[in-house]
Formats: sequence, C-alpha cells, structure tokens
Amino acid sequence: MVIVVVLVSWVIGNTFDNLSTRGIASGFSFLQSTAGFGISTSLIEFSEASSIGRAFWVGLLNTLLVSAISVALATILGFAFGVARFSGNWLLARLAAVYVETLRNIPLLLQIFFWYFAVLRSLPSPRQSFDLMGLFFLNNRGFYVPALEIFDGGGWLLSVLIALLITAFWQRQQKLISRSCSGMAVLLLVLVFANAGISVPVLRSFNFIGGAVLSPELVALVIALSTYTAAFIAEIVRAGIQSVPRGQIEAANALSLSNKDRMRFVVIPQALRVIVPLLTNQYLNLTKNSSLAAAIAFPDLVSVFAGTVLNITGQAIEIIGITMAVYLTISLAIAMAMNAFNRTTAMRGLSP
Amino acid sequence: MSDPVIKVEQVHKWFGTHQALDGVDLSVNTGERIVVCGPSGSGKSTLVRCMNGLETVESGRITVNQIDLAGGTTAVEQVRKSVGMVFQQFNLFPHLTVEENLCLAPVRGLGLSEIEAKERAEKYLKRVHIPEQATKFPLQLSGGQQQRVAIARALCMEPKIMLFDEPTSALDPEMIKEVLDVIAELAADGMTMVCVTHEMGLARAMADRIVFLDEGQIVEEASPLEFFDSPKSDRTKQFLSRIL
Amino acid sequence: MRILRYLVPFLSVVLFGAATSAGTLDTIKKKGWLTCGVSQGLPGFSVPDAKGNWTGIDVDFCRAVAAVALGSPDKVKFRPLSTKEAFTALQFGEIHILSRNVTWTQTRDSALGVNFAGILYYDGQGFMVRRDLGVRSARELDGAAVCVNSGSTTELNLSDYFRSHGMKYTPVVFEKSDEVLAAYRAGRCDVFSTDQSGLYAQRLKLPKGNVHMILPEVISKEPLGPAVRQGDDQWFNIVRWTLFALIGAEELGVTKSNVTVLEKKTRNPAVRRFVGTEGKAGANLGLDPKWAVRAITAVGNYGELFERHLGNKSRLKISRDLNRLWNKGGLHYAPPIR
Ligand SMILES: Nc1ncnc2c1ncn2[C@@H]1O[C@H](COP(=O)(O)OP(=O)(O)O)[C@@H](O)[C@H]1O
Ligand SMILES: [Mg+2]
Repeated sequence: MVIVVVLVSWVIGNTFDNLSTRGIASGFSFLQSTAGFGISTSLIEFSEASSIGRAFWVGLLNTLLVSAISVALATILGFAFGVARFSGNWLLARLAAVYVETLRNIPLLLQIFFWYFAVLRSLPSPRQSFDLMGLFFLNNRGFYVPALEIFDGGGWLLSVLIALLITAFWQRQQKLISRSCSGMAVLLLVLVFANAGISVPVLRSFNFIGGAVLSPELVALVIALSTYTAAFIAEIVRAGIQSVPRGQIEAANALSLSNKDRMRFVVIPQALRVIVPLLTNQYLNLTKNSSLAAAIAFPDLVSVFAGTVLNITGQAIEIIGITMAVYLTISLAIAMAMNAFNRTTAMRGLSP
Repeated sequence: MSDPVIKVEQVHKWFGTHQALDGVDLSVNTGERIVVCGPSGSGKSTLVRCMNGLETVESGRITVNQIDLAGGTTAVEQVRKSVGMVFQQFNLFPHLTVEENLCLAPVRGLGLSEIEAKERAEKYLKRVHIPEQATKFPLQLSGGQQQRVAIARALCMEPKIMLFDEPTSALDPEMIKEVLDVIAELAADGMTMVCVTHEMGLARAMADRIVFLDEGQIVEEASPLEFFDSPKSDRTKQFLSRIL
Repeated sequence: MRILRYLVPFLSVVLFGAATSAGTLDTIKKKGWLTCGVSQGLPGFSVPDAKGNWTGIDVDFCRAVAAVALGSPDKVKFRPLSTKEAFTALQFGEIHILSRNVTWTQTRDSALGVNFAGILYYDGQGFMVRRDLGVRSARELDGAAVCVNSGSTTELNLSDYFRSHGMKYTPVVFEKSDEVLAAYRAGRCDVFSTDQSGLYAQRLKLPKGNVHMILPEVISKEPLGPAVRQGDDQWFNIVRWTLFALIGAEELGVTKSNVTVLEKKTRNPAVRRFVGTEGKAGANLGLDPKWAVRAITAVGNYGELFERHLGNKSRLKISRDLNRLWNKGGLHYAPPIR
C-alpha cells in the first residue's frame, strides 16, 4: 500500500517536472477558460462563451444519452433476435441467424458510416422537407419537432413532475399511492404549462429554427450501436436460453403453458443467470464504442473533450486522464448496476 | 362400460435408429390406477411422455379423452390441460416461489384470477401437507418436499389424469415415504393415474393393473396379485427376482 | 484504442522524461533517418501516390531537411497524423519535424513545448458553398450548417467570425477531412469551411468541381509552417535555416538546374556564401559547407516548390498572392546568410 502511494506520487511529480522542463503547460485551470467553439447538440445550455468545463459536461451528457438509448434498444433487439432463433418459423429463425452473423462480422465504424450516409442520402434538403401538419419536419439536417420552452421556475416543476410520474409507475400495485401521484402530476402539468411556451420550428434561409431537433448524427449512431450490439446480445440470449435445462421446458409444456408464456415466465428468467453477466460486457463495449461518434460529427465526450478541447489547449495528459477516468467511472457504474440487478433478479431463488 | 380415458394403439417410437416403443397397446379407464414397470431403458418414460404429447410417435394412435394427440398443437394443449405430470427430477421452476410455481399455469392457462389461483394453491399445498412452505423457493426445500410441491403444481390444473415418471427415484430413502403417502392418498380419492415406479410396495397397494415393459414391448399386463404371485413370462420372473 | 495512442508517449514522459531530449541531430545520424509528421492526405501538401510515395510541399520540405542534415533527401520516413495527434507526437519525440499544414499560433508556440521554425505557406480560412445556394458572401451565411474538421483552429475561427458578425450557425464537426467532404456532398451542411488551400484541394475531389464556389472572405490568418520540439536549439536552427535556404535561393536566383554550375562558377558573394564556397554558415549550424546546395539539388527553391505542388504546374492552380517573395509583393523574406 505504502509502496503504491509512493510510486504514484513519484510518477505524478516526475510527470509534471518533465512537462515544465519541456515548456508544456499543465494543471486543470483550462477548465475555467472560455470555450470559444460551438457544439451542435447539447442537452444543457451551451454557447461559445461558456467555459471549457461546461463543454466537458455537454460531451459527457451526450455520451450518456447515446449510450443509454442504444443500450435500451440493443437489449430489446438482442432479445428479439435471440428468441427468434428458437422460433418454429424456419424463415424467422434463419433471418435471425443471418442478422447475427452479418452484423457481428462487419467493423462497427463501417456500419456507423453506412447508417450515417444512408440516413443523409435518403432525406431531402431543408427546402424540400417532409412536412407533417406544419409542426414536424424531416430533412437531412434532422427531425424538427415543436418544443416546450420552459421559463424560470418551470424547470424545477418539470423535474418534480417526472419524479412523480416515475413513482406512480413503479407503485402501480399500490393503487392509492399511484392515484394520488397521478393527481398531483396533473396539477403540476398545468403549472408547468403556465410557465412555458411552445416553440415551433420555422424555415429560414438555410434551415429550420426553433423547436427541438433530433440530429442525423444521433440517429445514425444510435442505429449503428444498437443493431451492432444487438447481434452480440442475441448470441448471449441464445446461449442463455440453451443453458436452461430441458426439464424446465418439459414441465412448462406439461402444464400446458403457451410457447410465449413458457419463454416469458420460465425460460427467460432462468436464462438471465447466464445472460446478465455477459450482458454487462456488451453494455461496457457499447459505451466505449460510442466514442466512435467523433467520426460522424456527433459531439460526444471524446469528440468534444478529447478532440476539440485537446486541440485547443494541447494538454493531452490532463484531458486524456480525465477522459479515461470518466470512462472508467461509467464502466464501474454499469458493472455495479448490473451486479445489483443480477443479485436481486437474475439469481432469484438460487441463494438460500 | 365407458370408453377408455387413455387409449394407446399400436404405437411405435424411434429415437434415430433406436426403437423405444414397439407396437404398444394400452387402455386406461376412468379411475384406474396403472403401474408401469420394467428394466431401465425399456421405454417406460417414453410411454408416459407420449401420453401428454411430450414425445411424438412415428406410427400408431394415442387418444386422451377422445382427443387424438396427432391433431396439432391445439389438441395437445387441450390434452395437457387435463393431464398432470410429475417428473423424476421434480422440474420445479427454481426462480419462482412455491406459490408462484403453483399459480403460474392456472393464471396463464386457465384464466384464473390471482386470488382464485392463490386459494387453489393453498388448497393443494394442504393436500400435500406443506401449506407453510408457500413463500419459500424450491431450492430451500428438501427433495421430498419439492416432489410434493410438484404434485401440488400438477393438481392445481385440476387434471382428470395424473402421470408419474419415477416420482421417488431421485429421493433420499427417508423421504420416499412422504411422497408415496401423497400418491396413495390421491389414488384413494379415485384419481386416474399412470405411474412408472420401481416401488413394488406401492404397486401392490394401489395398482389396479401392472404393466411390464421390456425392450419397448408390453410383456405382461396383470392385476398385482397375478403379477407378483404367478407371472407368466420369463422376463417378468427375471425382473421380479432381481428387484424383490 | 484512440486513447492507447497517447498512452505510450504518456508513459514514456512519466518514466523517462528528460532522457529522451538528447540532441536530435545526433539521434537521427545514429538512426540514419529522420521521421517527419505530415497530414493524412491533402493534395499539394502531402499525399501518398498509388505506389505509396509521398508528394507535396510539406513532404518536400522534410526531404530538404533530410538532405541538409543527413546528406540525402531519401533518409526520411513519413508519418501521417491528424492535427489532434500531431503535437503530442512531436512533444514526445515520436517525430523529429512536424511538417503538416498546422497553423502557427501563440498557444501552440508557447504552451505546447514546440517551436515553429518559420512559415512555409501563408494561408487563411475560407468557405465553400454550392453555387445554387445563391450566396455570394460569407456575410449571408446566418443560420447555416457548417461542416468542419475537428482538432484545428478552424472551429475557433468559425465561431469567432459568426459571433463577431452576430450570426448563428450549426457546427458539424468531423474527425477526418474525408468525412467532412462526404457529409458536405451528402447535403448535411450548407458550407464547408477550412483553410483556403484545403478548400481548393478538396474541391478537386468533388465530381463537378465548378458547382461549388469558394467565397471571397478569408476569415483568419493561417501561417502554416514546420515545427520542432522545444529545447534543442541546434535542430531548431537547422530546420529554420533549411526553410530560409529555400526562400533565399529563389531570391538569389539559385534553382535546381543551375545550382551545381553556380556552385563552381559564381562570383556573386551572396551566392558564394549560399553554396558554401565562402563563409562558415555550414559550420555554424554544425554541418558541412554544402548543406544548402543539397537542399536545392533535392527539391529546388521555394518558387519551384510552389509551382510544382500548388501553382500553375499543379492541378490546384492556387495563385501565389501572399506567398510571393517580399520584393514581388508577397510576404516571404529570408534573413541573409553571412
Ligand atoms: N431423447 C432421446 N433421444 C435418444 N434416445 C432416447 C431419448 N429418450 C430415451 N431414449 C432411449 O430410448 C430408450 C427408452 O428410454 P426411456 O423411455 O427413458 O426408458 P426407461 O424410462 O424405461 O428407462 C432408452 O434406450 C433411451 O436411451
Ligand atoms: Mg425412465
């Protein structure tokens, strides 16, 4: 322990000495300086005048956004394809097998490019947008939708509202809690609208302004990451299903459970014991793979922070260090969440 | 006399090149208790598994309650609703509590409400003498208790027929009796059943008829008295001399 | 993966630090070659041809340095690098010269542990748009989506320009220039922005080049030039004076074809000092007297280089403008050798 501490402090000290003898700036003060560059997609307020630290958060949130959506979609798709391989329908089972083999064996970066340029090329320019009721517009700059614009105070109300809805959802069984939550939610919704306005996208000389936009970069990245990872998850699900003893299936059959019920209540819950630990790896891979975002202009953490910011400040050691620490933290968080899920759900009935 | 509730006619069953059943004919009447015995590998399990469609046959016909098991998935599902099965290895669902094991099929398959299913589960757990284990998981129970839960699970579907495939073979000796008692009680209540077992005591006590299988053929079919005291075939005699 | 690329140099600086800053000239002499960081493919500056030979003005500059320092223009290995990687590679001694179209800025010169040896090409950031957009000036670009390359000053200039003119824009930032071009072609953006030299070069790759026009505005100063690692003054001087030799040769009228003749026959004292028959310019640099002759024999003077790679003898046909010599209305000016 002592040796490790001494070694680490020696390494850090030595590094900064070496950097200063070479005239390379060091330290973390760059995080406070003005960014000076723009970012196309941001979940939080960001402008050129914001700090570099804020740009870091924009990138991190974008990474988390794309990872979370893709993890959810990949899981759904992966289970669908994994289960389809056991389908009695020969064509469906074959299709699932072909899907898995194809997607797994094409490099992810190529798939990302494929989806990105496939999305871009299949969509019209802004002036020829697909128009839905004058409110929704689809073109090669993205999908534009009307957005709720919340004035001061509204943001808090909105987060309380979301929290209430989530509670109501989880407590569906306890009807009383659920009802009172929904009641309060309606009340809050009225308050939120009182503090908000609707912004509708309108066409200007080049593009639509106002509303919210789903960028083609985000869409392509999510499609590529989730379909690619789904192929691996499908294989894991298949292995999981195969690991369930025959006797379980026979018992379900003898009880006259339908194929669907048998899958849902008997096979999948037991397959999870094999699936969940392997799934963790796939989620970690997906999160790491999301850093390929930089290739198609999606402003994730690597693109914004380890890309643009690194180039502006040149402080490679600090920036790469922070970036590695962030990915490590995300990975640990995923692993911990999955372990918890494994303990409480997948291993149900197995520990005495 | 009414039609037999299970009718097996000239059934042949192959596993690849191996013939497991070779021209089996068997009728089971309502309320009858049949014990199937025979050496290991003789096709006993295969025979009972054919009776609820867990195995399909290459030739011959099996009808249960006048429903032909060759009639596709709906026929098979219908048959399974009226036929309960108990396996050698219990095959309880380990991720579900005892109560959940019992309620699953009645709720999903028979359309019972949760409350009705729970009432029914309680009733049959009492019947197998372990009502206090409802909230435990199968692996927290002893083998004998697990097998009784498995019997209760089958009973929850309120079947007309019960099939047992060596229900006590996987149990430690001290637990065999508790399971046999439950089966004997069921028999006494008039349940129609087909039971594969090596427990000759059980056979003697409850069987209306004993069927002796060897190499996929029914070699002998007799009342317990005849079967044990004056077996006709040499193969039966050999088998009995080894087992008794 | 990407991060690994930094990890090795990172570890080396952590563990060995100062040990790697031995004299670069000695190091490369011992090795027998020098490593030159170039861009990953920019016509006129550095592109590999079908056989894998690198050509371009940035490439030839490194060949000139190799000729000067090691006696032969062939004793150089090229390492294609993104802007993002370029400075890190130089800082940690993976390359000996960075001769890539990177802009000389105050931050880079003072905070990154590198020194710029001079200016090889005066560039400036511009805009390319489709003609049918009807835009004639960058001032009309309010609300446009702009495709740019990450890891360069381009992003910052762009933001400064739009902010100072009170205009809004959507940056679409790619890691590699090929994707910037592909996205621009696919209609993801209204505008393609990079250094003007890059715009000319990229336009060559578009199927119908003259459907696209380069707007007149130049929104930034982009002096491009070679850089070396800070802390080795001798090497810095060699690289800087190789550049001055190329520029000086054009001014003196020394060309690839006449340099060997002049070496023996000239009476002009400035040329005599240049070719090493007078003075001790070579010795001052720690080299032999014929150093400059070798540079010109290898690649020709600056004017020849420009015409061959960027000007009228090239496909790019960029006019020399700011890149003329100081006495011809341009900015290139080499201090005297004496
Ligand atoms: N799924 C199967 N695949 C191949 N052979 C099987 C299978 N099930 C049973 N058999 C074979 O069929 C024969 C009869 O098996 P079984 O009915 O299980 O015998 P028993 O229950 O009388 O011991 C045995 O030889 C066994 O090896
Ligand atoms: Mg058996």
